[in-house]
Parts: sequence; structure tokens; C-alpha cells
Amino acid sequence: MTEDEVLQILNLIEKSTFDFLQLELGDLKLTVSKSGYVPSTAVTPGAAPGLVSQASPRPPVDVKEAPPQARPPQPAPSLAETEAIKGAVAITAPMVGTFYTTPEPGSPPFVHVGGRVGEDETVGLIEVMKVFNAVKSGVRGTVAKICVDNGQFVEYGQTLFLVRPEGVLDEEGPE
Amino acid sequence: MNIARVLVANRGEIAIRVIKACRALGIESVAAFSQADRESLPARMADRAVCIGPARSAESYLKIESIISAALGTRSDAIHPGYGFLAEDPELAEACAKHGLKFIGPRPENIRQMGNKLFARAVVGEYGIPVVPGSKKVKNLREACGLAEEIGFPLLFKAAAGGGGRGIKIVTEPNDLRQAFETAAAEARAAFGDGTLYLERYIPNARHIEVQVLGDRSGNVVHIGERDCSLQRRYQKVVEEAPAPPLSEALREKIRQAGATIAREMGYENAGTVEFIVDQDQQQFYFLEMNTRIQVEHPVTEMITGLDLVEQQIRIADGQPLSISQSDVRFTGHAIECRITAESANHGFRPCPGPITAWDPPVGPDIRVDTHCFAGYVVPPFYDSLLAKLITRGEDRREAAERMQNALASFAVGGVDTTIPFLRFLLAQPDYIAGTVNTRWLEAQLRHFPLCG
Repeated sequence: MTEDEVLQILNLIEKSTFDFLQLELGDLKLTVSKSGYVPSTAVTPGAAPGLVSQASPRPPVDVKEAPPQARPPQPAPSLAETEAIKGAVAITAPMVGTFYTTPEPGSPPFVHVGGRVGEDETVGLIEVMKVFNAVKSGVRGTVAKICVDNGQFVEYGQTLFLVRPEGVLDEEGPE
Repeated sequence: MNIARVLVANRGEIAIRVIKACRALGIESVAAFSQADRESLPARMADRAVCIGPARSAESYLKIESIISAALGTRSDAIHPGYGFLAEDPELAEACAKHGLKFIGPRPENIRQMGNKLFARAVVGEYGIPVVPGSKKVKNLREACGLAEEIGFPLLFKAAAGGGGRGIKIVTEPNDLRQAFETAAAEARAAFGDGTLYLERYIPNARHIEVQVLGDRSGNVVHIGERDCSLQRRYQKVVEEAPAPPLSEALREKIRQAGATIAREMGYENAGTVEFIVDQDQQQFYFLEMNTRIQVEHPVTEMITGLDLVEQQIRIADGQPLSISQSDVRFTGHAIECRITAESANHGFRPCPGPITAWDPPVGPDIRVDTHCFAGYVVPPFYDSLLAKLITRGEDRREAAERMQNALASFAVGGVDTTIPFLRFLLAQPDYIAGTVNTRWLEAQLRHFPLCG
């Protein structure tokens, strides 16, 4: 999507009676809100049904226009942590369970700090009732931080990794 | 007590209720919450809180793997399911057993026995308890026509897998059979994944009376009296009270004994409720269904007995024998409960989620408020609209009802529409005050409720 197209969408929403728009085109997700209200379903990474879920690491593009929000019942702790490493995005747990950094005991971990990951790459496993579910990176970039230990119990939405995405300029946010 | 930590697999006021019961017993609580409930009171109040999934309940509160996983990950040794969600899913009870967790509720086979309404009717009939005259499974429309002639009109189509009023259609004349059959089957399929229907005689002048029972692992059973839940809208209870006002003492005792008999015969463990329909014209009662969980309206029973039913549930799940015998159960006074929901009665009971700007519940002796709400809480749009249960007690029904009127009048809520004005209107009606109502009464009042806005 080009910048022009985004601006066109913003214009349309601005003139419309709608408060909120979420657009998904393939991998691209655009969330626009006039009031600052973002339904939490929209922000939710939306773990796909089935055993292998994909974490969607990117926080939605929050185009701020209106004064700061009446706080929706949302903010996941991962957003705050993300800011700790500038420009990094979080890979979050798509389910609650036990997190493993290695494919099996004793083998090398899926990823290490400084290593590169592709979007479809498996970065860890979450065990739920003896079933192992692959956690996909969902982002192409360099691993900046591993936030959980091998064998640690993780909650849904908990930050597992911080990744410095590739092809992103030293960003200051969309202003 | 062997149980040291309980995972609360629910939200809202019942999660608070369970957390409080745990505290009173010196047990730790873990709140399992969805992402939409991150800022909720149970998530803050429990000793620990775990996010189990996104807002959609199918991926959080209804997901057995996530609940079990959260219980194991937090080293909890028991799960309390509350009501709704997975409370009556035998698979959660089974999964608990498989993973060495105690399920605070009945055994899976108890849940299964009563989960299928057709099966429950057959089982209870064998115990010698009257069931509402009706049919077995209705295979097709032609069969329905024949059965309808036998049972007589008006009658009801009901879903075998039913609950919560879904899949129920009333038929007053033969011409309406086809449409009712088709819509009830479609509704049942959509709601329960099973379109199986049966027919039941419709009792026009009926009261809904239910009996609270407790059973322990050794087969001891006591009843904790009955409740009247005749004030319903779309088969959903709105106002409940205990004891039931209009019954003769002989009929009251028969109904209580019938509830206890069913629980005893089926070897029921933990807290349960046996629901009956009382035909006021015939002074006859019939078994309707059994709910294998703690119920929303359990506080009215607690208010007139002094018992803590959730504590009893935990003790029973812990393996302890019942600490009370039937003669220990004493009833004093009268209690009424109003369900306060975020709905606009003036707009067809439209749900009104959003931020609560002011929250000032009534306080006083013999007033109880079970709630998870507070000023600044945002009522999420994903779940049911119950905000609070307001319960009052009095020496007699009149005192309890007057106290309820005053309590409702002083209950100040800002930001969201609530059913408080509607409840005040209902409880001011002479029929309600006199106690001469039936299960159709509330819906008949709707057209008298002053419309505005």
C-alpha cells in the first residue's frame, strides 16, 4: 500500500461517520481510529484456530488524531516492553502454556540474540496439555532480546522475543 | 483442607464470589482472565492472575486446554468453573481428573446424566418423581403432529441438549406446528450443535420453583430449601426469592424431598439445583431439569440459612463429608434477589456496554451486593450483561420487598443504562407485592412499562 492510498483512506474516514476502521490485506493490517477507541478484538493478535498459531507481532498502526483516549480495557504489557528497545517489535505468546526455546531437550535453541528470523520461522514451542504448538515469528528481522526462559510458564499475549524488523528505518512513529 | 490454590475459570461477579470464598478458607486464588478482562476486578483481586486468551470466549473462557494449562502452570490444585462457560461441560471435569486437578463441581457422569434433557426426564421418571407430560425424541413433523394430539395444546418444543431458554418454542394451535418445529430445530442446532427436539405440555399458570441440594462423596445428601424464580423474561430469570411464597407447607415439603431424592438416587456430588414447574391450578409439581453447578441466584438461599454454598462446594470437592445434616438446615426470614444488567429496558433490553462513570451501590444491614463493577470500569461488549446482584433480606417477604425497593432507589449507576428502573417498576406492582404471579407475568408487564427516550 502506498502512502497516497493510506492518506486517501484517512480522508475517507475523517469525512465519514465511522469512528474506527480495521483493514487487512494479506499481511498488511491497518487500524484507524478517530476517538482513540480500539476494540480489543482488533488489537488482539488473533491467534488462528488450530494447533499451530501465528503470533502477530506488530502493534496496529494507531493513527492519532483525537485527544488521548479514554483507556480501553486493553494495553498488553508487551507494548511497554517493546519501547525498551527502540524500533523493536514483540513476538507474543499465542496461547497460555509452557514455553520451550529448543525443539527438544539438549538441542540448540531455535533462535539466539543477534540471529536473523524470517516471518514463517518457528522461534519456539508452547506445550499445552502435552501438545506442542509452534510459535511463528511473524516478522522478518534480527532478534534483539529473548524475554522468557526455557520451560517457563507463559500467559497469552506475553512477550517472548523482541525483534528489530528489517527494512524499517530508525522510526519515530507515523507522524 | 487439601486444596491450597484454586484457579477461577470464570469472570464477573461469580469470579469475585469464588475468590472471596477462597480467602475465607485461607486458600489462594488464581484468576484466569481473557485479554478483555485484563483490567477487571477479579484479575486484580486474586492472588495471581493469568491471561488465558483473547476476548472471544471460544478462545479463552471456553477453551479447556487453556484453562487446564493455566491451572497446571500456576500449580493450582483445583478449578472452580463458576456458572455458564464450562461449568456444565463434562469434558472440563474429565480433563481435571486426568491432570490430577480437583474439579469444584459434580462428577462428569452427573453432568452428562442431566445435560441431555430427554435423558434426564427418563432417569427422574424412574425415581418416581413426576415429570411434565411430554414425548420422547420427536423425529419429524408428521410424528410431532401425532404426539401433539396426544399431549394437547398449548405445548412446547424443547431442545434435548437445551439450556438458557434457547431452542424453546410455544405452539398454541396445530397450524403453528410446522414453523415451530423448524425454527426450534434450527435454533437448537445453532446453539448446541444438536437439533434433537421433544414435546412438553405447556402449563400456562405455572411457577418456577427450584431446590438447592448438596451431596458429598459418601452419598450424604441434604436440601437447602427452595427458591422461586417465576419472574422471567425470555426464559431468563430476573428476580428470585426464597422461600417460595405461594406454596402450601405440604407441597413445599414434597418438592424439597423430590429434589433431595433425585440427588440421592443419582449419587450426586457437590452443589446442584433441581428445577420444578408448579401448576398453580392443579397444585401439582413436575420435574423440569437439573443444573449441575452453583447458580446465579444462590445468595437468596445463603441469606435465609446463613450457609456459604461456595465454601460448601470447595469442602466437598476437597473430599470432606458434609458438615451439616438435614436438621441443621434452618430457614429464617425471606430474601429477594434482583439481577441488575447493563440493558436498556426502554429500548427492548438493548445491551449497553461501555464505561461506568458512577457506581454507588446501597449499603446497610440485610443488603448484599455481589458485583465486579466499580466507577471507571468499562463493561466489555463480549460477555453477558450482568453488572450486579442485589439481595435483601427481611423478617418476612413484605420487609424484604420494601428493603429491595429502597435499595434499588438508592443504587446510583452512571455511564451505562441499567435495568434498575425496570426492576423498581416490577416490584411496585400490586401482583408482585401480593405474590400472585406466574412465569408469564413479567412479559405481560412489559407493555405497561413507561416508554421514554
